[in-house]
Amino acid sequence: MIRYDCFEWLAAQMTDQLVVTSLSGQRVEWGHLSKRDADLNLGSMGNALAVGIGLALALPRRKVFVFESDGSVLLSLFNLPTLANLNPPNLAVFVFDNQAYSGTRISYPSATAGKTDLAAMASGAGIDYAVTVSELEDFKKEVTAALNQSGLRFVVCKIEESVGHRRIVRTNVDLLETKYRFVRYLERTEGKPIIQGRG
Amino acid sequence: MKAELANRTVAGLKEAGIDFVSYIPETRLSEILPVLEADGSFTLVPVASEAEAVGIAAGASLGGKRAAVYMEGTGLFVSTYNLLTVGERYGVPMLLLVAYVGSFEDQRNSYLFSHYGNKTKGILDTLGIQYLIIDSANQLEARIKDAVRMMHALKLPVALLFTGEFTE
Repeated sequence: MIRYDCFEWLAAQMTDQLVVTSLSGQRVEWGHLSKRDADLNLGSMGNALAVGIGLALALPRRKVFVFESDGSVLLSLFNLPTLANLNPPNLAVFVFDNQAYSGTRISYPSATAGKTDLAAMASGAGIDYAVTVSELEDFKKEVTAALNQSGLRFVVCKIEESVGHRRIVRTNVDLLETKYRFVRYLERTEGKPIIQGRG
Repeated sequence: MKAELANRTVAGLKEAGIDFVSYIPETRLSEILPVLEADGSFTLVPVASEAEAVGIAAGASLGGKRAAVYMEGTGLFVSTYNLLTVGERYGVPMLLLVAYVGSFEDQRNSYLFSHYGNKTKGILDTLGIQYLIIDSANQLEARIKDAVRMMHALKLPVALLFTGEFTE
């Protein structure tokens, strides 16, 4: 399974769901395929899941999707028991697990290339629905369920390490612009002020 | 921490508009937790690491909550990366309620805490996080409001460092 293929299909399914992405090639690919104001591309490892939890708690009527990577989840494993116990029903987590630290010029195996099973760790932490998929059709089924059903989902998506994102021209939209675009979208759709400031 | 201080602190947070608190319990300010729970108007989020407490508060803040993170001073060291990458770089308002362990005025100071305490302000200065030191109940509610006003004005995390009579 190739992450870009997953995203290409997924981008066409999204309407008003909020999306938080981690770092890695997924940020580049999702930012290239999806141009929605509802996307919050964080650009840091180890933070997307926590930020997604906060959004899900703050906006319980909105569906929140978090796109994580194996390296990012491994960096913040304390998120798993916290997520299990909070159990936000409007949150769906998709971990794109390429079993590697795949940087611009590097590729080194992560723990999931060895003995570590992130779905089993999520189950052990207490997350009731934690599964692994490795075929595009199974990925589509999980996304469809996440879009249409309530309940916390933690889906580890086993993908091939691909370098397609390296050929994508990087956006010049910086983090502050991303934040304001996202927050102003929420203000419009939620009908409430979020970023305050008397000018 | 005396019950009256805990009650006034929580009332001050509520009056200042705070409605979301992620936290890891610690000893010195712990009396605020049952007051926060009893109040019923706060979304309380217990976590496993101050690092995720900051991330969760950031998400809540971006979603429209007025968020605070309650932590021991050691948590600032744990969450430095998250305060920088999400709080500072993204410009997300949140109020850090910090038990300022190891400070001069920490009434329970010991070799266990002093090495953190004498570097706490340096960490905040390096991160560019503005802070107020609260060592007495004098104008407590006003200072909480000042900090919340500042975090919205800067659109950044702002810290309250509780020490002195808050650490008895």
